[in-house]
Amino acid sequence: MSATRSTRRAEFLAGCRDEAPLQLGVVPFGMLYGIGALAAGMPAWLAQLASALVFAGAAQLVIVQMLTAAAGVLPIGLTASLLNLRHVLYSASVADHVRHLPRRWRLLLAYLLTDEAYAVAILRYQTSTADDGATATTAGMPDLRHWYFLGCGFTLWATWQLSTAAGLLFGATIPAEWDIDFAVPLTFIALLTLLLRERAGQAAALVAALGALAFATLPYKLGLVAAILLGLLAGVWAARFARDGK
Amino acid sequence: MSTAALIGLLVAVGLVTFLYRYAMIGLFASRNLPGWLHALCRHIAPASFAALTASALFVHGGEVAIDLATPKPWAALVAALVAWRTRSVLATIGTGMAALYLLKFLL
Repeated sequence: MSATRSTRRAEFLAGCRDEAPLQLGVVPFGMLYGIGALAAGMPAWLAQLASALVFAGAAQLVIVQMLTAAAGVLPIGLTASLLNLRHVLYSASVADHVRHLPRRWRLLLAYLLTDEAYAVAILRYQTSTADDGATATTAGMPDLRHWYFLGCGFTLWATWQLSTAAGLLFGATIPAEWDIDFAVPLTFIALLTLLLRERAGQAAALVAALGALAFATLPYKLGLVAAILLGLLAGVWAARFARDGK
Repeated sequence: MSTAALIGLLVAVGLVTFLYRYAMIGLFASRNLPGWLHALCRHIAPASFAALTASALFVHGGEVAIDLATPKPWAALVAALVAWRTRSVLATIGTGMAALYLLKFLL
């Protein structure tokens, strides 16, 4: 039994260790979110709470940007929900590995299933079998890799909360005339450049950008939602065209 | 937006996001997602970021205002070039903000 307990601990710590290098990329986003949230007029306590409730960096930055643009509740909710849709794919991807776990474990791991935690945890699942854990050498050991998953998720969660808090503290000292909220669209530009490797994605981005201007007069910034949906159609259509039209 | 509306929004987005994450782990037995969902998810991030960037640069108070005498479009252009050359998010934000301050000083 104590062998199992020490293996749990080892798995958890291995997850923390393997997730650690990714925190270098997470901290600036968390801080930027905190700074941007204050600049957008969010109360600090609510911005911090949102990091626990939503726990999705890109969606939180999008919410901040749309609040800055004075968008309505519905367009912000729709856009953030659309942006987070990819988590269904992650959920499907890890499902076979966590299906045997008790519900409280599945609820906990689902809550922690972010981009960065998924990326590290799925690698562990795909490159090992149930009983060849980091330290488990005894054949027939129970599958304890969910402790590794928990280590990944916990590490990211802690970093996200702390970097949000750091951004809120730091942001409170930045004067409004510094235009610090401009850092959020700059982040989108950086991420866009990383994402635009294929033609279909470029088509989606171009149409969405043009759509954002074409539908700018729609109330509550609903034009943004329409632009994104139109961009999605363009992307899917361009991908099909590239596949069929050779 | 009122604080109450903002709380409601954040709780709703948090709940939806959690349901996405829990969907295939705890809610649905089938794990074969349709191909169109994969295809769609590839384009959601680029489309969203592009629409928000275009809006942040060229929409003010619900009106399209493409004013090239203001610093932000040019700072964004500098940032895009840096992003393209370095593929670094931090370098992009850093030079973009520096370009904004410089242009605000010059213009």
